[in-house]
Amino acid sequence: MKKYLFVTKNSLAEYFTYRLNFVLWRVRVVISVLITFFLWQTIYSGRREIFNYNQSQMMTYVILLSFISAVVMSTQTFRVAEEINSGSLSNFLIRPLSYFRFNLSRDLADKIINIIFATIEVPLIILIFRPPFFWQTNPLNLILFFFSLVLSTLLFFEISMLLSLIGFWSREVWAPRFIFFILIAFLAGTYFPLDIVPAPLYSFLKLLPFTYLVFFPLRIYLGGVSVSFMATGLAVSSSWIFVLYFIMRKVWRNGLKIYTAEGK
Amino acid sequence: MTILLKYFRVWWLMTSHSIQMFFVSRLGALLFLSGKIMRFIFFFGFLLLLFTKTKTFAGYNLNQVLLFYFTFNLIDSATQMLFREVYRFRYYIVSGNFDMLLVKPVNPLFRSLFGWTDILDLITLGPFILMIIFVLTKIPAISFGHLFVYFALIINSMLLATSFHIMVLSLAVMTTEIDHAIMIYRDVVGMGKLPIDIYKEPLRSLITFVIPVGLMMTFPVKALLGVLNFRLVLYTFIFTLTLLFLSINFWNYSLKKYTSASS
Repeated sequence: MKKYLFVTKNSLAEYFTYRLNFVLWRVRVVISVLITFFLWQTIYSGRREIFNYNQSQMMTYVILLSFISAVVMSTQTFRVAEEINSGSLSNFLIRPLSYFRFNLSRDLADKIINIIFATIEVPLIILIFRPPFFWQTNPLNLILFFFSLVLSTLLFFEISMLLSLIGFWSREVWAPRFIFFILIAFLAGTYFPLDIVPAPLYSFLKLLPFTYLVFFPLRIYLGGVSVSFMATGLAVSSSWIFVLYFIMRKVWRNGLKIYTAEGK
Repeated sequence: MTILLKYFRVWWLMTSHSIQMFFVSRLGALLFLSGKIMRFIFFFGFLLLLFTKTKTFAGYNLNQVLLFYFTFNLIDSATQMLFREVYRFRYYIVSGNFDMLLVKPVNPLFRSLFGWTDILDLITLGPFILMIIFVLTKIPAISFGHLFVYFALIINSMLLATSFHIMVLSLAVMTTEIDHAIMIYRDVVGMGKLPIDIYKEPLRSLITFVIPVGLMMTFPVKALLGVLNFRLVLYTFIFTLTLLFLSINFWNYSLKKYTSASS
């Protein structure tokens, strides 16, 4: 366990080496949140409710996106593809550690530092723009919100790892990731809450893993959803985690069989 | 004239190399193209969805908002198509290979800006133009004069984009930082997907007169719709020429600071 803590510690040290890079990344996150924020603010001008969301709920949804993406989507797993393609994966294979736990530890550093920044940014956005913000006080919603965040994080880790494992078979690793991020932008709910789309489409989206990355935790935080919605959502996202875990292990094993440490 | 012809030939040569590379990694290129199309369709769908609940958005109807969105995509894609090399520029600096560009008998700024033409964005330009023409037929009372100013302002937007890319290149020469700088440029410009009227003051003025997203993306369409006064059109041209002048000077200054450290 101690060795993985060192991985996290080293990854944090890397961040402090490239401070400007990191600060600029957070600037990008804030800009994207502000774009969505102003878009919805305009939509709500002169209206109390739209798509069954009142202004306070929608603004809370948009602002918390910054926090959710810091927790769920901050990752270093894209480096896995580079490590496979450059052959430097061999350096990890001969070490007495689990490559998956190593990546989880690396991701942990990413998440820690992003969460620290997000917890500064979110109150700042609230203070500067003074939007109507909804504070959830129901303990059940809050507990389930944090629990669903843990599930979302695991789910994102698995999907991102799978995308990187494509590197065993192809050098085209950025194109699938590019498509994945576009899918996430719309199908995970980072532009708008998914339940505003027509009902048949929403029913279909609920079957996909993307829904449980952003929309689902936020919907639980905002409340006003049934217990069955929360239970079904947690069951579906857990099932995805379970299924993707086995797929990831299988792909990893098959990938290792054809890995030639090309480039080393 | 001879110099212009020479540079056109160099650009054509570099572009033909880019096209050949497109055929080398066909799958990746197709996936990237699909991603771009998906992104466009998703946001388009979102706008349509939005207009099922409202008749106007910041005072504009659906066709007018679509015109803003399509024009944004046209300018953005044309910029991406021409200046894709900027995204690869950091490599030249950190590896020291920029030295090789400096010794060639071609202007290094020209080479750094236009070294790679993105064929994928070129493919999307045609459909965007067709969509703009289609939506224009749905908007009444557009005069020939307004159309002329619209074209002039689109060319002006391309010059503004050029200035920004020159500044990003200069920043890269001085700090080696480029990846996030160019992405921040893209994010900020992305605010122009919709008319900047949706943003509240002082942000609206900031992204109009300081970071000229409004001048780049919103003003051409406003001129076309006849809601932009002549003084602002004039201001846009003067601002652009000033920024272009400053960016070229910044580039020249940055070259003096280049240390060729990694070569």
